Amino acid sequence: MSELAIRRGAAAALAIAALRYAYPRAPRPALADVSLEIAPGEFVLLAGRSASGKSTLLKAACGLVPHFHGGEIEGEVTVAGLDAIESGPGELAAAVGYVAQDPETQVVSTTVAAEIGLPLEMRGDSSAGRARAIEEVALALAIPHLLDRTVDTLSGGELQRVALAAALVTRPSLVLLDEPTSQLDPVAGDELIWLLRRLNEEWGVAVLLAEHRLERCLAAADRVVAMDAGRVTFDGAPGDFLAWSHASDPALTTPAARLFSLAGIEPLPPGVRQARQLLASTGAPLDAEGRTPSERLVLLGRPDRGRPHPPHPSKLREEGVLPSAPAALTSRALWIELSRNDERHDVIRGIDLKVRRGERVALMGRNGAGKSTLLKTAAGLIDPIRGKLEVPDGMALLTQNPSDYLVRERVGDELPGDAGLAALRVVGLEHAVDADPRDLSGGERQRLALAITLAGQMEGERLPGLVALDEPTRGMDRNRKGDLVDLIGELAERGAGVVVATHDVEFAAEFAARVVLLGDGVVIADGPAAEVLSGGWYFATEVARVLDLPGVVTPEQGAAALRGEEGSR
Amino acid sequence: MRSPFAYTPRPGPLQAASPGAAVAYLGALTAVAFLYSSPLVLAAAGLAVALAGWLAAAWTAVRSAIRLGLAIALPIVVVNALVVNRGETVLARLGDWPLLGQVDVTAEALVDGAVFGLRAVVVMIAFAVYSACVDPDRVLRALRPVAGRSALTATLVSRLVPVAAADAGRLRDAARLRGPGAAEAGRAPLARRLLAGSLDRAVDVAATLELRGYSLPAREVHPPSHRWWMHPSSSRRRGSRHDLRFYLAGALVLGAAIAAKALGADEFHAYPTIQVGAGPATVALSALLLLRGLVPFRRKPRRRRV
Repeated sequence: MSELAIRRGAAAALAIAALRYAYPRAPRPALADVSLEIAPGEFVLLAGRSASGKSTLLKAACGLVPHFHGGEIEGEVTVAGLDAIESGPGELAAAVGYVAQDPETQVVSTTVAAEIGLPLEMRGDSSAGRARAIEEVALALAIPHLLDRTVDTLSGGELQRVALAAALVTRPSLVLLDEPTSQLDPVAGDELIWLLRRLNEEWGVAVLLAEHRLERCLAAADRVVAMDAGRVTFDGAPGDFLAWSHASDPALTTPAARLFSLAGIEPLPPGVRQARQLLASTGAPLDAEGRTPSERLVLLGRPDRGRPHPPHPSKLREEGVLPSAPAALTSRALWIELSRNDERHDVIRGIDLKVRRGERVALMGRNGAGKSTLLKTAAGLIDPIRGKLEVPDGMALLTQNPSDYLVRERVGDELPGDAGLAALRVVGLEHAVDADPRDLSGGERQRLALAITLAGQMEGERLPGLVALDEPTRGMDRNRKGDLVDLIGELAERGAGVVVATHDVEFAAEFAARVVLLGDGVVIADGPAAEVLSGGWYFATEVARVLDLPGVVTPEQGAAALRGEEGSR
Repeated sequence: MRSPFAYTPRPGPLQAASPGAAVAYLGALTAVAFLYSSPLVLAAAGLAVALAGWLAAAWTAVRSAIRLGLAIALPIVVVNALVVNRGETVLARLGDWPLLGQVDVTAEALVDGAVFGLRAVVVMIAFAVYSACVDPDRVLRALRPVAGRSALTATLVSRLVPVAAADAGRLRDAARLRGPGAAEAGRAPLARRLLAGSLDRAVDVAATLELRGYSLPAREVHPPSHRWWMHPSSSRRRGSRHDLRFYLAGALVLGAAIAAKALGADEFHAYPTIQVGAGPATVALSALLLLRGLVPFRRKPRRRRV
């Protein structure tokens, strides 16, 4: 980042001193002794596990804490010279923009143009001034074509951009974003991060971005602030952050950094570009023959750009992981039509697919590719217009929001009797029969919801043929994802075919044996996870993007390949 | 799935008109439906408002309103026929009914009920055209300076209704996906869960409104002399070049309806025998509703370049 854009010495975009805050009736403070300063034009990444205080810090910076949420606050928060503890969010709106995690709850108008213009209208800007500001921010975010649309016709990615436009239209000096990519596919997520970077550079707006998927945005950041239990535990450059996290909190390390760490290469790279440059320039020998990383990559065939990409689905369909296992899901020439914007659209177009018991399948694709529709059809919530979709041994589907399944005040009331207890045992929650579902952690609530879908579908301890999860990792930190990987492994070992619709390529690389990639309602790739996730750019892991070696997707595989160990691929 | 009555931005005179002009125009046609019982005038008003919807590209809303209106009209006709024993043309004697006593179905009561039903259909169509063509954001913002709290409440409700509908759909799906060994979701627990979720949503939307500066005191954007009803073209958002036409059409329709009523145009009596008049005043008013009522949608002929 150029020092020109970061105007050090000027009044800070955000200055926090000795901030301590507790939500009403909370047993302990959400923020404790936080001090932080963000210079104008700086791009700061806020890292930390779930419930570490990131969202609360963002809310304090825009005035929602304490003005909207109440609670007890001490210390100082200054935004562009305004006292955020004295001034309310409305007064701060001209100086700070805030984009929350769920775009659905941050639009209040009917049309996109009205939504973007609302802050200006509230401020009393003239109609001519509003029209120009709306046009400019729409052009900056590449959404002028959306201005006349109603907000209920937008996709998640489009809605997120509209929310960002509404936050930026007043030309604030600081914009705060709380996991803005958690609901976006890899393409839309990458686009959003680089859009933020461009706005940061061109408009000079300071950015404070809270994210779990650090590999997506670390390279764009000037600085990283890490939090744990409401305290700042690290504040420094991205490269230093990786060294710190590797030693102190490995859950925050990126896949590329883990690759380098395992391969014994230093320094740890904040992004793909730096990783490639380091691999090309480092002269340290890696393998037994004393080859450098670049020599190893040449040997492994990286420069061969003509190598084939993942084989065509028709070829791979025959290469089932467990060809002898019974089918858990079979679709033949499946067509599904849904209504959108008063018109009927083909969402699934003639898909043939077979998933066998014991398989772990990641169902991937862009927002709107048809992943959720396919799973809902398998569960009987949607009727296909043509073709067949069979689930011979039953199916349990956990949809995107586990809280939708929790309607009672006691776990045992949700799952009564022996069937309920058996389902709780499968997900490891038999000890929580008397707990209130609202008191469970996010991961436990997810497992409880899964148990509710499984209950009564098992013969003894035998699971239904198919267990499907729709976007289960939204807002999850790496530790919770690890627990979910273990649970998926257990379910598959007990004989269920497990299909997970996900945007998270790193998560898919960890749990899946097979990846089915949907594009515009058809299967565009179907094969072993290592092949599909190393055969592209957007739907590829960070390690695959760094090394560009077929079949190498995880840091462990990558390090083994660089060291010349057997079985790396 | 979107409601057929949901507002959809489209290029068109009614969509471009200010909320006041649209309300004046559609309100005048609705007022005719309440002023008159003549089936001819009601049919003309209904046809005018349906054509207005069609010209405003809101035919889906009009069609749904007609269906809904007929669904409401039918019970009105049936109930009226059963409850009202007036009329000389008895079509059926249904004997003694509990509470109702002797029930005779007369042609007059059926026609009277049909007129009530037709009125309901006209009102439904007018509401549907309003709902599909008038931007609710502009209505709420127009209300904000005069009724801030009401506008805030209306904003929250107008935003939360579709969100709550989506939440209810998700909860219904989740209830269907519960395993057979899990407790039934049940209506009461689902309703409680939906209510709790709606409250959470309301808090989120209210927070967003705070962040957008909704709690700031409403500020005067234009000089006081530039009131939107006085000078519709002074603001791109509050007025359009079509406003005057809609105001004039509304005033003309309402004025003509009142004048014709005074001249005895409403020649309809259901009892004791059906009398439907089609005198000159009634015919003239019906024609005016159709012709003058649709004038705002008339496109000016393009001038030819020489």
